[in-house]
Amino acid sequence: MGAVVKYVIAGLVRYWLIHTDFWHTLSNRVEIATPLNSWKRLIEGVYLYDQNINPYEGDAFHESPIVLVIFHYLLKHVPYSLPFIFSAMDLLTAYLLYKTSRGFVRIFLNCQEKYLSDVSQESKDMVMTESQLKETSEYVLSVYLFNPYSILNCVGMTTTVLQNMLLAAALCGAAHGYVIISCAFLAFATHQALYPVLLIVPTAMILAEVNKGCNKCSYIKTLLAFVLSWSFVVYISAFIMDGSYNYVYNTYGFILTVPDLKPNIGLFWYFFTEMFEHFRLLFVCAFQINALILYIVPLTLRFKKEPILLVTVLLALSTVFRSYPCVGDVGFYMAFIPMWKHLFTFMQQKFIVACAFIITSALGPTVWHLWIYSGSANANFFFGVTLSFATAQIFLITDLLFAYIKREYTLKNGSSRTIDGKPAKLVLR
Amino acid sequence: MFNSKNFLFFIAVFIETIFNANGDLFNEELFIKPLPPAHLYTYFQFTTLVNDNLSSEHTYLAPRSLVEVLTRFQVDELHFTLTEGQWRHNHWGYPVLDAAPGAELYAWFSSDVENVDTQWKKLSSTLAGLFCASLNFIEDFNTITPQMALQPTGAIPQNPNITSQLRYASLPREIVCTENLTPWKKLLPCESSRGLSALLNSRMIHNTNYHSIGVHTRKVCSSSDCSVVSLEIKQTVALVYDSKIIRTTDWSFTKLFGQGLPGGCPLASSSKVYVDITTNDTQPFLLSPEPEKVLLSQRGGSETKLALYTIKPENKMTTIGAKYISKKDLVLMKLPPLYFNRYVLGYGKEFGGIVTELTNTFWSSIDVVVLQNAPWWLPIQLSSLRINGEASSEMVLARHYSPGRSRQKPYHLELLLRLPPKSTTKITIDFEFVFLKWQEYPPDANHGFYVGSAIITANLPTARNYTSLPGTASLFESSINASKPWYPAVFRTNGVMVSLPTPDFSMPYNVICLACTVVALAFGPLHNICTKELVLKVVGSSVTLKQKIINLFKKKKE
Amino acid sequence: MAFTNLMLVFIFNLLYLSLSSGIEIPEEFQKSNHTNNWAVLVDTSRFWFNYRHVANVLSIYRSVKRLGIPDSQIILMISDDMACNPRNPRPATIFNSAHEQINVYGDDVEVDYRGYEVSVENFIRLLTGRVPPDTPRSKQLLTDEGSNILIYLTGHGGDGFLKFQDSEEVTSQELADALEQMWQKKRYNEIFFIIDTCQASSMYEKFYSPNILATASSLVGEDSLSHHVDSAIGVYIIDRYTYYVLEFLENVHPNSKRTMSEFLAVCPKSACLSTVGVRKDLFNRDPSKVPITDFFGSVRPVILTTDPINIVETPKRKKKTENKTKVQVKRDYVPQFPMHLVQVT
Repeated sequence: MGAVVKYVIAGLVRYWLIHTDFWHTLSNRVEIATPLNSWKRLIEGVYLYDQNINPYEGDAFHESPIVLVIFHYLLKHVPYSLPFIFSAMDLLTAYLLYKTSRGFVRIFLNCQEKYLSDVSQESKDMVMTESQLKETSEYVLSVYLFNPYSILNCVGMTTTVLQNMLLAAALCGAAHGYVIISCAFLAFATHQALYPVLLIVPTAMILAEVNKGCNKCSYIKTLLAFVLSWSFVVYISAFIMDGSYNYVYNTYGFILTVPDLKPNIGLFWYFFTEMFEHFRLLFVCAFQINALILYIVPLTLRFKKEPILLVTVLLALSTVFRSYPCVGDVGFYMAFIPMWKHLFTFMQQKFIVACAFIITSALGPTVWHLWIYSGSANANFFFGVTLSFATAQIFLITDLLFAYIKREYTLKNGSSRTIDGKPAKLVLR
Repeated sequence: MFNSKNFLFFIAVFIETIFNANGDLFNEELFIKPLPPAHLYTYFQFTTLVNDNLSSEHTYLAPRSLVEVLTRFQVDELHFTLTEGQWRHNHWGYPVLDAAPGAELYAWFSSDVENVDTQWKKLSSTLAGLFCASLNFIEDFNTITPQMALQPTGAIPQNPNITSQLRYASLPREIVCTENLTPWKKLLPCESSRGLSALLNSRMIHNTNYHSIGVHTRKVCSSSDCSVVSLEIKQTVALVYDSKIIRTTDWSFTKLFGQGLPGGCPLASSSKVYVDITTNDTQPFLLSPEPEKVLLSQRGGSETKLALYTIKPENKMTTIGAKYISKKDLVLMKLPPLYFNRYVLGYGKEFGGIVTELTNTFWSSIDVVVLQNAPWWLPIQLSSLRINGEASSEMVLARHYSPGRSRQKPYHLELLLRLPPKSTTKITIDFEFVFLKWQEYPPDANHGFYVGSAIITANLPTARNYTSLPGTASLFESSINASKPWYPAVFRTNGVMVSLPTPDFSMPYNVICLACTVVALAFGPLHNICTKELVLKVVGSSVTLKQKIINLFKKKKE
Repeated sequence: MAFTNLMLVFIFNLLYLSLSSGIEIPEEFQKSNHTNNWAVLVDTSRFWFNYRHVANVLSIYRSVKRLGIPDSQIILMISDDMACNPRNPRPATIFNSAHEQINVYGDDVEVDYRGYEVSVENFIRLLTGRVPPDTPRSKQLLTDEGSNILIYLTGHGGDGFLKFQDSEEVTSQELADALEQMWQKKRYNEIFFIIDTCQASSMYEKFYSPNILATASSLVGEDSLSHHVDSAIGVYIIDRYTYYVLEFLENVHPNSKRTMSEFLAVCPKSACLSTVGVRKDLFNRDPSKVPITDFFGSVRPVILTTDPINIVETPKRKKKTENKTKVQVKRDYVPQFPMHLVQVT
C-alpha cells in the first residue's frame, strides 16, 4: 500500500511539473539537458527525419536512429501523451530498480553465506540479516522516486529517462539471471550512450553468480549475447538510415570526440574549451580512456567477490567522467547508494559530500545565470561549481570503496584497533 | 638611340592599337537620384564589353588581371561587392544593384569544372590579393550553394544542374576603405585620371551613409542565336549621401566628390550622366547646367523623368548640381511594394531567435525567395521555424534546408513564399549559442559576431521604385521604357549581430591543471584501493603539535 | 596589327639588350649583391585607442613608397581599420599630427594583410615563405638573395615579446629563428629592422643571423612614448620615434646622399624621451657609408651607355596556333526567379 502511494505521488509530481511553466526552463537547463539527450534536439531530429532530411547530415541530433524512429512514431501518433509516457517510464525505472535491488539482496545474502566462515567471532553481529537487507530495497525505490535529480531529469523529458530505464531493465534482468534480456537492454543502452558498455563486466559476473554452473561458460555466453545484440542494434540503426553507417560519426563519434563544448556538469567542456589545439587529441584520448577503460580491470580484480559494488562504482565513475553527463545519470547511480547503508558507519566524508552536493546544486544555476544572463560573472565561476560537484561525487565513490574495504577488514579481524594493547590505525600498504 | 621622335611614334602606335581593338566597348554612366527628404543616391557603372575571343594573354580595355582570373578558374559569372552601411529599402526604394554589408562573393563556374569547391577556394584567395580584402577567410564553413535565390544573370548553356556550379559566401565583418578602392580603380581603362572615375575621391565617398563597390562579370549574347558570347565586366559604385553630412540638401559634383568632372574618359564609347528628376514635381529643384535632354520613361506603370548629360572627353571641367527652390518640410514617402526588416530575439547568451519581417504593400500577392544563412556557430532549429506564428503555412511554395555542421558547413534555409497582398509576414526561427574553443574566438571576442544578411529574391509585379537594368541589357539607357511582365530583383536584408558567450582567455593553464587534478583525485584513491591492502599500524601515543615541532628541530640538530 | 606587335617586340628587345650585354660593369657594382628592395611593415595592435600605431606604420609606408619601392614589394599589415572607423571624424584619412600636415593614408594605398589576418602565424609564414598554397602574390614576400628588406614593427610589446592584436604574441627568440631561416633559405641580402614598441630593443637582442642592422625606439626597461594627442579624435595620434623618423624621411629624396648613420641618430633622447637602441654587430658595412636608399628606396645602380649595339638576330615570338574549333554551345538567359516552382494562375 505504502509503495503504491509513493508511486502515485512521484508520478503526479513529475506529471504536474511537466505541465507547469517550469517545464520550458527545466528542459533547457544545461545541468539537465546536454547536446546528447535534450528534448529540443530530439524534436529537431524527429522533425528533420519527418521532412526527409537526414538528421545526421547536420549537427543537430546525436541520439541513436532507433530512438529517432520511436519518438517519430510517438510524436506523430500520440504527441499529447508524451508527458505521461515520460512519467511512466521513470516510474517503471523505479520499479525495475526496486526489483533489481531485491535480486541484488539475494545475491548479497548468498555471498555472505559463502564467506561466513571468514568472519571473525567478534564481528558476527555485523553480518546482515535478511530483514535488514530487505528494507534497503524500499530505500532504493524511495530514493529514485524522490531524488530531485531524477525528478528534474524526467521533467526535462531528456532521453536519459529512456537510458535509465534500459539500464534498470538490464540490471534487473541480470539480477534475475535472464542473460538475453539483460544483454539486449544493455546493448541498447550502450548503443544510445556508449558508456554503459562498462557494465558488461559486472553484469557477466552477476549472471554467472545467479545462474550457478560453469563460470567461464556463463561469461562467454553473456559476452557473446552482448556483442551479438549490440551488432544487431547497430545494424538495425543502419537499416533505418537506409543502410548508411554515417550516423556513427554523429552518435559514437560525437560522444568520443567532444566537438560540442556547451557547459554541463562534467569535466570535459571547459577543459576542452581551453585546451591548446595541438594537444587536443592527446587529452581527448586520455580522458576517454579514463572514463571507459582505465578503472575497469583493476576494480574488477579487486572486487570480484562483489559485482554489485562494482556496478555501483562503475556507474558512478562513468557518470563523473563521461563527456556529456547530466543530473539524470547522477540520480540513477544515487539510487544504488542505499544498498550500501551498512557501510555508512564506515564512511568518513558523508557530511562533506552531502554539503558539497547541496551547495553546488544551488550555486550552479546561480552562477550560470550570472554568467550567461546578467553578464556579471564569467565562465570560471560555473567551471568552479562543476569542478566541485565532480569532486564531491569522486569523494562519495572513494569513500564508499574505503568504507567497504574497512568493513571487509573488520569482518575478518574484528573491530578492535589495537596491536598488543597499543592504539593502532588502519592504513593502506 | 631613343630619340623623342621614335618615342612619339611608339606612343602613337600604342594608342592606335587601343582604338582599333576590335569591338572592346567601354561605357561609363552615372545615375543620380535624390531620395527625399535627406538623401542622395549616386550610382556609377563602368561597363566593359569584351567582344574579342577571350584570351588571358591579351586584353584591350578589359583589366587583364581580372580576365586572367576569370579564364584561369573558368568562371562563367562573378559577383563581388564590398559594402559599408545598410541600404534602407523602406526609405530609399530599391538600388540598381543591392549588396550585402561587408564583402559578398558569388560565382558560377563553367560546367567543365568538376571540383568546384577547390576552384572556389582558389578564386576567393586570388581575389583577396586583387582587391586587398580578406576574402581568404572564405572557407567551406561559410560557403553555401543557393538553390533558388540566385540565378545567373548572364547567358548560360542549357544545363539543368546550374546551381551545382554556384558558390556563395559573405563576410559581414569585412571593412571597406581606400585600400579596396585603389585596386578597384586600377581595373578601369582610364584609372582615376579621366572620366567619371576621377570623381571617386576616397575621402568623399567614405563620408557617406552607404557605399558599395562591386565587380560583376557575366557572359552576354553577342549573336542573335546566342551561340557566340562575349564577356561583360561591370564595375559599380553606389553611394548614398546624407544631407546632414554634406550639410546641405543642394548638391553638386564639387560638394559630393570634392571636385568637378574633368571630361569623359577618352577610351569610352560614351560617358553619360542621368539625373532622376521625378521628385522635381514634389520637391522642385533647378539643375545646373541645363540638361541636354529630358527622357521620359514609362516602365511597369510608373513614370520616371531622367535628365541626360553626355560628357565628351574634350569637355572642360564640368560640375553638375541641383539647387532646391522651395523646401517642403513634409514629404510623403511612397513605400516600395516590398520591404523587409531583420532582427534578433531573446536575451542572455543561451538561446535566441532571428526574425525576418517582409511587408507587401502592393495590391496583389508577390512571390519571394528568402534565403537565411546562419553560420555554424549559430545553429538554427528548423523545427522552430514559424511563419506568422504557424508551424505550417500555405504561403510556403517550396523549401530547401541544408543543416550545418560545426566547423564544416553553415546552416542554409531557403523558402519560396507567396506574400499575400497588403500584409506583413513574420518568419521566426530559433537558434542556440555555441560555445567555441578559446582559440576560435577572434581577438575582439566581445565585439560581437556578425551574421550575414538574408537574401530576398522577389518577382515584383510592378516597377515602382525599381531602378535595375533589364536582364539582357548592359547599359543604363536600356532601362528606359523597359516594361516587362515581371521585375525580378535580389535584395539583402540588414545583417544582425550577436554576442557569443566567452570563456576566460587567460585561464588555459589553470583550467587544464584544475581539471586534471580532479581526475587525479579519483585516480589516486582508486589506485591505492586496488593495489594496496589495509593493515593496522601502531600510531603510538598521539603526538601533539608542539612535540612535532620540537622533534623537527631535534632532527636538524642531529 | 602584326606590324605593331613586331614593332613592340623590337623595341623591347633593344631595351633589354642595351642593358644586359656588352657593357663592362664597374667594380663597385659587382661587390654588392643588392638587386631589389622589399619592405614588411606591420602594425600589430587592434582597437581605436591604438590609432597611433596605424599612423606609425603608414608613415613608413608613405616614405618607402615615395622613395620608390612599388606597392607589389611592400607587405603592409594593419590589424584594425582606423581610416574608415566609424569613430574617425575624417573618414579615409590618417594624419601624422594634430595639425593634419600629412595624410599618411593617402589616396593610393594597398593593405595586404588586414584585420584578423594579422596574426603571429601569418607574419612568420610571410617571412619564412611558408605560405599556404593559393596565396596571392601580394601576400607573399618573394625575396631572393639580392633583396634588401626593411622590416618595421609597431605595437605593444614588453621584454622579449611583441603582442599581436592583444591576443597572442611573438617572442624575440621566435623572430630571431624566423630571420635565421630566411638567411638559410637565401631570402635576403641585408635586413634593416626597426621596431617601435615599449622595451623594443629586447626584440633584436636574440638575433644571430648575419647582415642585419637593427634599431629600436627604446631600450629594455624603457617605454616608448607617444607624441601628442589630437583632441578632435580623442586619441594619441603618433608615437615619438616614428614621428621624428617621418620628419627626417620627408626630407630624403631618391637621389639624396643621406646615410644610415644619420637615420640611426634621428631621435635623440631629448626628443624621444627614450633611448634609441642600435645593433650593428651583425651588419658588415659601416652604417655611415650605407646610403639610406639601400633600404628605404628602390635605387639600384644604373649605367647609361651611349655605345651602339649591333643586333644580330631578332628572336621571333612564336605565335601559338591554337585550334579554336570549339563546339559552340547554345546559351540562353534564364529567368531571374524560380518560375518553375511557382504556378502562374
